Amino acid sequence: MGRLQVMVEGLGKHVVTEAYPWAPLEVPEGFRGKPVIDPERCVGCGSCVNACPPNALTLSDDGRYRVVKLFLGRCIFCGRCEEVCPFNAIKLTKEFELAASSTEDLVQEVRLVMAKCAVCGRPYATLREVRKVAESLPENLKGLAYVCPDCRERISSYFVGFARR
Amino acid sequence: MGTWFGRSTWVFHLNSGSCNGCDIEVLNMFAPTQDVERLGVKLVGSPLHADVIVFTGPVTFQALPYVIEALKAVPNPKAVVACGSCACGGGIWHDSYNVVGGINALYEILDTLGIPRPPTVYVPGCPPKPEAMMYGVLLARGMVGQRQRREVYVEEVKEVEAPQGVREVVAKAAKAFRGW
Repeated sequence: MGRLQVMVEGLGKHVVTEAYPWAPLEVPEGFRGKPVIDPERCVGCGSCVNACPPNALTLSDDGRYRVVKLFLGRCIFCGRCEEVCPFNAIKLTKEFELAASSTEDLVQEVRLVMAKCAVCGRPYATLREVRKVAESLPENLKGLAYVCPDCRERISSYFVGFARR
Repeated sequence: MGTWFGRSTWVFHLNSGSCNGCDIEVLNMFAPTQDVERLGVKLVGSPLHADVIVFTGPVTFQALPYVIEALKAVPNPKAVVACGSCACGGGIWHDSYNVVGGINALYEILDTLGIPRPPTVYVPGCPPKPEAMMYGVLLARGMVGQRQRREVYVEEVKEVEAPQGVREVVAKAAKAFRGW
């Protein structure tokens, strides 16, 4: 087949090249794009941080806030965080245009207020997490949720009825 | 970043020890479906001819001297497009023993050698879509705007204390167990 013949045959065919930069691109179903934390739902439990293989999600406490930090520049878009999140707070969107001119722009931070222990005053978990736990506890044990693990060890027998008269 | 490149942008693909995932996607960028050559972006075989370096890989120690030589060889003005999560921040290898860990760690080494840092576009992804890389190259060229921005959410809560009734019970319990 000569080259001319190929060109003549190709005249009737459609163009395969996408019009991408000028027209938006449709990504396929199930595409794993940019993970986004829904800050209204996140409780800062840290299960996504445990699951993240490249440590793109990190957790740090600075006294008042617990900071859940997602650094996209390390994310491998595996979707494990989405699988393990108990409150469906982190979702993988279909967004792929993530190019940025500095690494600062690749960061998403969620700062959640920490609860202070009712006995010793040490911040030990996020307030949202504590309230969620307190909701699930029966009325007479609710106080245990507002106490840090160290103090809870000491005073828990009061709540289970040992010292209660 | 911007309109230094009045003419077409020539791209040199620099592999610094990547797993070849990103490299295949870089080549896909020049394939008929994504055809970035229609925008004047051309793949060249030597850093001496390049305007933009498409950088992949977490910079292994074995590749480090050659990567530095290649970066030095690119004439100014130049830009770097760090493709893939390995190049952006070390990726899954960020704490591995045999890698420098991403392009920012490489720039710290360049600082000690007195080589100025070229302006850089970071394209995260593992690997990024060819379109995402195309977007990165066009961002370096100033043809498209940046969409990704830093997002910070700060929770605002008025009451940090436990509810009133709970506090009393806890105080009673703490009193009963003082000294334990």
